[in-house]
Amino acid sequence: MLILTRKLGEAIAIGDDVKVHLLEIKGKQVRIGVEAPPRITVHREEIYRQIREQNQKSATPTGPAADLQEVWEKLKG
Amino acid sequence: MELQTKLFGPIEVDTARVIEMRRPILGFERLRRYVLLIREEKTPFGWLQSVEEAAVAFVVVNPFVVKGDYEPVLSDEVQGILGIERAEDVALLSIVTIRSEPLEVSVNLRAPLVINVRNMTALQAVLEDETYPVRYVIKTIKERPAEIPQAVSLKISPTSSDNFA
Repeated sequence: MLILTRKLGEAIAIGDDVKVHLLEIKGKQVRIGVEAPPRITVHREEIYRQIREQNQKSATPTGPAADLQEVWEKLKG
Repeated sequence: MELQTKLFGPIEVDTARVIEMRRPILGFERLRRYVLLIREEKTPFGWLQSVEEAAVAFVVVNPFVVKGDYEPVLSDEVQGILGIERAEDVALLSIVTIRSEPLEVSVNLRAPLVINVRNMTALQAVLEDETYPVRYVIKTIKERPAEIPQAVSLKISPTSSDNFA
């Protein structure tokens, strides 16, 4: 891992088109601004991982979970 | 074109109904093209079937059916990527996770699939609003069903094939 020391207001360039700005430091919290082209997705790491895992769990249900008619019967209020 | 699917067998699909992901469904980066199938017409659920991978299909629901006061804010970036010009061109779907025995149904309200129905492009957005959970568990649905956007979906016969093994 590359480790760099930066001051408030400074930035890091990643490749030609990604910039990471250090905007604010408050105690243990750091505000970071990311400039990147639309094809690059930027998320908080934990939400990204959580969504990915949930997508994988939901893909191609089998057995009773795939019987949507039956699932609907049980959910109907 | 004929599409091979694990759950429904081969189905005939109009290529104009293929939805192209401008950003992939997270965890399924290789898959870029899907069709939205309506099979269980009397339920609010649809199937988002991968065109490229027969074994991959997601159960989806219109998030407004499960949460009436859902107010997702789509970023300018999302609108730009999909070329959204008018609000009425946008359709939203949430991926549903179904666990059986005991039955638990949850809906991903944090990362809805956003579809521009005009150019058939889509992406999985990640909403800034942290109050919307990735796992929104639903016990009952009171609203009336059948809210899958007709403009982008295809109906398939419930009797066509059953591979729910």
